[in-house]
Amino acid sequence: MAVRTTLTWNEEKSLQKLLGNVSLILLYKSTVHGNRISNMYNRCIRQGSTVTMIYCPKNSFGIFMLGHYPEISEGFRKLNSSIYFSFQKNKTMEMTAAFLNSTLKISNDQLEFQFPISPVQYLSLDLHKRTIVIPKLLVEKLGLNPDLGFRFLECEVFRVEGIKDAAGYINRITRATQHRNSLLADLRAYRPYADLVSEIRILLLGPVGSGKSSFFNSVKSIFHGHLTHQAIVGSDVTSITEQYRIYSVKDGKDGKSLPFMLCDSMGLDEKEGVGLCVADIPHILKGCVPDRYQFSPHKPITPKHPAFITSPSLKDRIHCVAYVFDINSIDNLSSKMVAKFKQVQKEVLNCGVAHVALFTKVNNCYEVLQDNFLKMNKSMISQSQIQNANKMLGIPLSNILVVENYASEREMDPLKDILILSALKQMFRAADDFLEDLPLE
Amino acid sequence: MAMTTCLTWMQEKKLQNHFGEKQFSLLYKASVHEFSSESLLQRCSKQGPIITVIHSEDHILGAYVPKSYPEDCFIILFAFQETTISHCKIGPFQLSMLFYESDRNSEFNINLEKKEVAISINTMDKLGLPQCYISFQECEVFRCEDLLDKRRMDGLTELRESLLTAIRTYEPYGGRVCQVRILLLGPIGAGKSSFFNSVKSVFRGHVTNQALVGSKTTGVSEKYRTYFIKDGKDGNTLPFILCDSMGLSEKEEGLHMDDIPCILEGCVPDRYQFNSMKPITPGLGNYTGCPMLKDRIHCVAFVFDANSVGHLSDEMVEKIRRIRRELIKCGVVHVVLLTHVDTLDLITKGDLIDIYRCVPVKLKLEAVHRELGFALSDIFVVSNYTSEWELEPVMDVLNLSALRQMLWAADDFLEDLPLEETSRCF
Ligand SMILES: Nc1nc2c(ncn2[C@@H]2O[C@H](COP(=O)(O)OP(=O)(O)OP(=O)(O)O)[C@@H](O)[C@H]2O)c(=O)[nH]1
Ligand SMILES: Nc1nc2c(ncn2[C@@H]2O[C@H](COP(=O)(O)OP(=O)(O)O)[C@@H](O)[C@H]2O)c(=O)[nH]1
Ligand SMILES: [Mg+2]
Ligand SMILES: [Mg+2]
Repeated sequence: MAVRTTLTWNEEKSLQKLLGNVSLILLYKSTVHGNRISNMYNRCIRQGSTVTMIYCPKNSFGIFMLGHYPEISEGFRKLNSSIYFSFQKNKTMEMTAAFLNSTLKISNDQLEFQFPISPVQYLSLDLHKRTIVIPKLLVEKLGLNPDLGFRFLECEVFRVEGIKDAAGYINRITRATQHRNSLLADLRAYRPYADLVSEIRILLLGPVGSGKSSFFNSVKSIFHGHLTHQAIVGSDVTSITEQYRIYSVKDGKDGKSLPFMLCDSMGLDEKEGVGLCVADIPHILKGCVPDRYQFSPHKPITPKHPAFITSPSLKDRIHCVAYVFDINSIDNLSSKMVAKFKQVQKEVLNCGVAHVALFTKVNNCYEVLQDNFLKMNKSMISQSQIQNANKMLGIPLSNILVVENYASEREMDPLKDILILSALKQMFRAADDFLEDLPLE
Repeated sequence: MAMTTCLTWMQEKKLQNHFGEKQFSLLYKASVHEFSSESLLQRCSKQGPIITVIHSEDHILGAYVPKSYPEDCFIILFAFQETTISHCKIGPFQLSMLFYESDRNSEFNINLEKKEVAISINTMDKLGLPQCYISFQECEVFRCEDLLDKRRMDGLTELRESLLTAIRTYEPYGGRVCQVRILLLGPIGAGKSSFFNSVKSVFRGHVTNQALVGSKTTGVSEKYRTYFIKDGKDGNTLPFILCDSMGLSEKEEGLHMDDIPCILEGCVPDRYQFNSMKPITPGLGNYTGCPMLKDRIHCVAFVFDANSVGHLSDEMVEKIRRIRRELIKCGVVHVVLLTHVDTLDLITKGDLIDIYRCVPVKLKLEAVHRELGFALSDIFVVSNYTSEWELEPVMDVLNLSALRQMLWAADDFLEDLPLEETSRCF
């Protein structure tokens, strides 16, 4: 007889997604392998991270444990990072999940999960009688039906393969969606300082291929909920982006415009006469360059250009500049590039515009932030790229932002969103500082 | 010690294909779970068909047991040769006979405690192994399941339905047009016409071959075709139009580069006969003089045969780059479709279910990214109907997912248009 899981393919996929592109390997199935603890136990110890699934007629319930199944004697000693989740079998197959540390004790007739945050509450599982008792704590967290004890049809245990790093990842992933949503809400509700303008303009400046256009696409993708391709991206010897573009982003396909605009420019090149002209930059900053202006690498825009905006107002100006760099190449920029960049920075400083650094293409995007998502973690900050940017550009650490754009994958990922949205939020703050700093007239 | 297999992706895949498109689930690994036959049997009993893999310094060999332990069955022994896998049959007996010495099995004996396999002379010859005793470092046991089992097929069918619904109910951005036009561009024989046929087939409910499909060399499509697709045989027209062009060629026979801007602007009428030597001229005959936004191309899909990626001639690469510059100039968004992935080495139909995880496919995507400069997230794998008689949900899901991406890309194009361009004619 073939051993086949009761988990549907869709449920499996949502679990894989929750845990970060993992594979699930069925180790134990109570109706096939026997419903004694020892049947389960023999197959599940020393398998690394596991998911234990309990199937009931109306819904299913699962427990992810990062650490091994404990040895029988060990009980209650080792704390295990765990995620509890449930699938509602009704209409939408919604999945809810809660992250909780717990300890597991295996006795001769049942499994008992205990929670340090509420030591009197247990989750207990009797394989033989096929009953499960879910404590109130979980019922509330998962929004389950309030009858706490019920009979189940089947219990399965899977090994989880390909889980990313240790505790940190798991610790974050269950809170990621929540944090992402609250960041989204913050950004939607943002209003520029003293309502001086209705939208702030953020200019993306950086070398060819550093990911400026991709950053705009990534931001738009998050607000639309799927990958978008509005800005054309790719790689070539010269810049793919040849036009100045002022993009506004809608909150969903038919939503209203969000309170910011991202201004995408042609990439900087170390050679003279190639890429964005440094002399164009002051005009861009002042708001004289119109949307869709075709850059010419040889000669900067002049007031004679028919579309030149001769008397730009505050709303046309750039309120924040983001210097965009590929984090993998910042340490080996050519001296010519550095020199060019110094010129660029001089122009920006002259105009008094706020600035931040935006690093793209980070490899370990799950390890950038601290567990609480509120700042970069220590090891990231100590990396040479960040330190160099801090020194070379004179930008405070809190305004050095690290993201991974949606460039190589096809699925949205809440942890990636958090990096991108946090970067955007810091840019808003920088823009506010600039607006506040303006002389009254 | 991590519970992951020592087999490389290629080795695992070869074995899976050898035993009939299986999927492997690692149940036991000696270095993690002890070198003990008892421990192995405990974990591997009642698990359905399983395969035991022995890793020695120079060899990978093992046994495929097609029935759940403790049932009796014929057991297939195998060994990796340089390019192939040799095999022979023993039994019938149950799995445990492989691990305990007994009169019933003197052909192939795995002693986990001693980390040694003893093989009879006869079997040794059949498997093409050089010696009777092989000491090993690792032993792994996997459960074998069909890659496309009922559970996954059910999931795929559900997914196909939701994709179909999403596409049927799609409305182009801001109601600026009723239907979006997607242009298929690519070398001759890349599978452009086949992609149209495949999409049409899903909506028709059976495999159809409206567009003539050609061979690799000459190419059949010489006419420009703009295909509307109906939802079912007499249903509503769907909100997209697929435009099939003549293939590109490094020589003079393919699509003329100067035709491309005219196609993008919507000046080329349906059924226009391409001439490789002479581009369409404004004002002549059937040239559409004043195309509207609805006549323009809203998204371009570059179509490539996955096998050709990495072997495209410099002329072709140069042509593609030039076309891309042209697209950037007109602000037309584009994506890449990779066809023929089913013919890549080792890839089988079952792999289409998770095609982006397959190593040969990943390598192809990276090659497209590297050589042609397209962003990885803009490249999609599709699988066209060629010899199938019936619809395959797993193929449909890939093709429809790519189509939905193209509709979104067309939305991006429409949203990006300056307002004054949404109504004027070009
Ligand atoms: N892995 C990875 N790739 C990225 C990331 N951001 C951008 N890319 C890739 O880098 C390439 C260049 O990205 P673009 O967004 O076109 O860069 P750009 O700064 O706009 O470049 P130009 O317009 O040519 O000056 C594309 O192939 C992107 O897919 C990232 O965060 N991670
Ligand atoms: N195996 C396989 N063959 C394909 C696929 N797509 C197209 N083909 C074959 O490739 C050949 C050329 O296809 P065609 O659609 O005429 O290419 P076009 O010149 O781009 O229109 C035909 O023989 C098709 O059957 C695919 O995804 N897989
Ligand atoms: Mg760009
Ligand atoms: Mg054709």
